Amino acid sequence: MHRTITALCLILSFALPGCSGSSSSSGSQSDSAATGGAEPKWTIAMSQCNLGEPWRAQMNADLKRAAAEHPEIRLVFNNAENDTLKQRSQIEEFVSAGVDLIMVCPKEAQPLTEPIAKAYRSGIPVVVIDRQVLGDDFTTFIGADNVAIGREAGRWIASHAKPDARIVELKGLMTSVPAQDRHAGFREGLGDVGEVIFEADMQWLEPQARKEMDSALARFDEIDVVFAHNDPGAHGAYLAAKAAGRAEGMLFVGIDALSHEGIAYVNQGLLDATFEYPTGGTVAIETALKILAGEEVPKNIELGTSTHAQAKYEDE
Amino acid sequence: MPDQSPHKLVATAKAVLLSPVGRAVLALGLVLLVGVAFNADGAFFKTGTHRDALRQMSVYGMLACGMTLVITTGGIDLAVGSVLALVAVCSATMAIHWEWSAWLVVPLSVLIGAACGLGSGVVTAWLRVQPFIATLAMMVFARGLAKQLAGGMKVSTAVPQADGTYQYVDVPSLYRAIDARLLGGHVSTVTLVFLACAAVAYLVLSRHRLGREFYAIGGNAEAARLSGVPVVRSTVWAYVLSGALAGVAGLCQASQEQQGDPEAGAGYELTAIAMVVIGGTSLMGGRGGMGLTLLGVLTIGYLDKILSINAVPSATRLMLTGVIIVAAVLTQKRGRY
Repeated sequence: MHRTITALCLILSFALPGCSGSSSSSGSQSDSAATGGAEPKWTIAMSQCNLGEPWRAQMNADLKRAAAEHPEIRLVFNNAENDTLKQRSQIEEFVSAGVDLIMVCPKEAQPLTEPIAKAYRSGIPVVVIDRQVLGDDFTTFIGADNVAIGREAGRWIASHAKPDARIVELKGLMTSVPAQDRHAGFREGLGDVGEVIFEADMQWLEPQARKEMDSALARFDEIDVVFAHNDPGAHGAYLAAKAAGRAEGMLFVGIDALSHEGIAYVNQGLLDATFEYPTGGTVAIETALKILAGEEVPKNIELGTSTHAQAKYEDE
Repeated sequence: MPDQSPHKLVATAKAVLLSPVGRAVLALGLVLLVGVAFNADGAFFKTGTHRDALRQMSVYGMLACGMTLVITTGGIDLAVGSVLALVAVCSATMAIHWEWSAWLVVPLSVLIGAACGLGSGVVTAWLRVQPFIATLAMMVFARGLAKQLAGGMKVSTAVPQADGTYQYVDVPSLYRAIDARLLGGHVSTVTLVFLACAAVAYLVLSRHRLGREFYAIGGNAEAARLSGVPVVRSTVWAYVLSGALAGVAGLCQASQEQQGDPEAGAGYELTAIAMVVIGGTSLMGGRGGMGLTLLGVLTIGYLDKILSINAVPSATRLMLTGVIIVAAVLTQKRGRY
């Protein structure tokens, strides 16, 4: 009896982390965009690598919204729950189900290149979003460029801060490619304006960012600009500076511009600016429609960023 | 001091240094010395640095208080980090979205934490599942529930409306009060909350019948049972208290972030365990105390702060922390087993 319960708990504890998504635990949810009785002509299957990150939930929401305007397509969402092999079998299932188009946000490049290539070679168009795969056996790649976004943020700070500004950079997890790219782009865009006096890895986490900012505040009496690799980081830094009574006159800049995070913080007057890391949801649907209509699409579609700054910067 | 021979003084000093408290004080002293040596251009000597260090270790400290009670019974509570997140999400929903009064939010937050602890405790003590497994199950369950309730995003002051737009509300006064400073700005409220939690844990462990039963169960559960200790009931109490303290920690976490983050507190349980162990409380149960845990919290908390003000790269930080934990535990261990 005792042993059975132990075994049961073991099974439970390992089955549960899988359900990390915010949506149904089955990991699959169908969203028929059909309206007014029109039968959808095409089925698009989407495999999202995980829904634990708010940004990915936002991408699915954007896709859903864009697809809702086109009754001729039916969009089916799948959540790979951060499991490479699960994502691989999802792509294989799409092929055997004979869907008309596959969208995939690969969890990682190497192990998913082969399944995606197989699907593509079987004649199903594949739209790869956000993360690259190797080779070129896919129809098109849609993604944003973190170097370009970091550069844009650097330039904005260079033009809004004083030339000898003392800057704190709160970096994302530096073993991750987005953090490395944002860092490189930022330094490039900043040019020779200001001096980065304190940099720390806050691992994309808000409490960590607040802690590091506390240290920066303790160590330096003058800080003019805080640049964080994501908006929660910039928000944590703002809270630290505010608690120290030093937020006034300090610039706070973040990246991502999710509507309930970065944009909300800018609208509430906490952050000065945030730079959108676009999900590409709308572009993906538009591109998919072109492919289904038989049009040529570019192999690589780069998404631009947009700046969301407080209203006071608009006339400049 | 009445005239003591040097020999006697040395013997006394030796006895103090070899006691668990002496060793824990020694470990803390060594970490503080590192801070004096690497003071980051004098940042270590500013009062604000210490106030912030004490604030930052407070949430971990609250978890460590509960962990001490559970570890004394010979158990372990891996669920505290997830329970923290669950309570953070629930309290943010109640305080920010529903604008409930603090008189409701605070007790309900503690109750939610305690309910999770009750779950772990019943599965451990009554259904006799090993604490490691039972609390591991609660850890993933509470994390899942937190994500479910939060709907995959943070519960913040940007409240989603039915039409997809956001309405911005003020940070609740409860959150502002917990994140404020008292005593002329020299002490953060969360630090005082932590000290209150530590006092409660101390009273339970050292001044209450329940504490004596925890030690008895941790020492030898069978012997405790035979001498009339209600083993099941007392063990459940240890987990309930640990859950309640994790609830307090969740409320403090949400107040400091001004939001309920379903991902908060991941890995905090391991820091809490490290704090308890570095203080000198035995993972085997039956030995240790709250005073030791307090020293452990200060040691790890200050180590973290010193590495942070010196802007030590994170890879080096992790390695140094690992080395120092082993070193501190080794000095604790010598001659005791």
